[in-house]
Amino acid sequence: MNVGGLELRDREEDYVNINPLQTGGRPYADARKAVISYVDGYSVCDWCKGDLCSLEKPPVKAFLDDVSKFLGMDAAMLTDGAREAKYAVMHAITRPGETVVVDGNKHYTTYVAAERAGLRIYEVPSSGHPEFKVNPEDYRGVFDQVKAETGAPPKLAVLTHVDGSYGNVVDAAKVGGICKEYGVPFLLNAAYSSGRMPVDGKAVGADFVSCSCHKGWAAGGGNIGLLAVTGAWVEKVFMKSSKYKVKPLEILGCSTRGSATPALMASYPHVAERVKHWGTEVENARWLAGEFEKMGLTVCGERPRSHDIIFVESEILFKISETHKKKNFYLASELKDRGVIGVKSGLTKNFKLSAYGKTREQVEHVAWAFKDIIEKHGPK
Amino acid sequence: MTEETDALFQALFALEDVRELLRETAPKHKLNEIQKKRFQDALKAVRSGLDRLEGRL
Repeated sequence: MNVGGLELRDREEDYVNINPLQTGGRPYADARKAVISYVDGYSVCDWCKGDLCSLEKPPVKAFLDDVSKFLGMDAAMLTDGAREAKYAVMHAITRPGETVVVDGNKHYTTYVAAERAGLRIYEVPSSGHPEFKVNPEDYRGVFDQVKAETGAPPKLAVLTHVDGSYGNVVDAAKVGGICKEYGVPFLLNAAYSSGRMPVDGKAVGADFVSCSCHKGWAAGGGNIGLLAVTGAWVEKVFMKSSKYKVKPLEILGCSTRGSATPALMASYPHVAERVKHWGTEVENARWLAGEFEKMGLTVCGERPRSHDIIFVESEILFKISETHKKKNFYLASELKDRGVIGVKSGLTKNFKLSAYGKTREQVEHVAWAFKDIIEKHGPK
Repeated sequence: MTEETDALFQALFALEDVRELLRETAPKHKLNEIQKKRFQDALKAVRSGLDRLEGRL
């Protein structure tokens, strides 16, 4: 079956999808129903009064008020994604040539956003293989380096709360404390944390929190993010156009004008509930990581695991690719034959996965699939 | 909203509930007793929506 000439996508219905980019954004039935209803362009604008974020029907404004509290912040606006939220902050509070400090596990979009804003970029390195940990205390040294080399503290510090490769959860409160001490505004990139696990921006000293709602808030296929700020930054970051008085500059007036906004709003009650069960997700991730280790695979990142993303290194799976007829494409293929999908095709030596939002039975099925492949094709 | 449109969305939404069950139980699609009840309720809603729609158009 196809749709409009496209292959019908059945990755969630017929397989356990463990692609870490996709597990947290998978929409609930309510969000899919919202998309069906609001599928038309500008559908959220039926009762537009000038700007998206203050809409009363559908109740976008009330939703954003709730969401900003949910994130422990004072105000929030919709963006097209976390990257746009990060760029909005950088553009609003810095000038080209000024300095930003980022962490070594940053998403590439943090760097690209800083480049686009014309900033000088300093980096807090990670500990490297195998844990790839970012030590909050290292922000202090980089701040000192920036001061020594530029004569001023950085204009902004960005922390990737949870990175998308190793799933390390950094102690954001420690980074927030150091930022406060140095008087550096603090942007917490919560793309892989908010919507999955509890995040309280003010409690960790964040001035800004950026979120990816197609990645972590079960908003589904449309691009949508959130930027939440403390009261002190509302005026500067949510500044309106001088000519078009209701249009926020940093989202060029209005951001997500179609079905992504209703999808997020419909998913939000489920998201607010699911973060309360974060402990179960961590427990499942730890169990799965433990099973991988029993199979002889290596799990990178901090120990014990504190997030659903698991980065695996495997000599055994790589060795199999040397003799398997499908070469390095065998792993994705063998997994698919066993009802598991989402490990990047062609990878065998190292890859990442996530079983976020899966039932325990599904998590156990994932472990079984890997074990069965190794037993059937591995060294005898 | 017209009855035909209401009936159409009733059926579509109930099918999304069926789809959710497929997602929750992939890849084996073995439903437990609670899921079987949800499945039957959703099917009933699909059928009733389609019946209403058929009666209107």
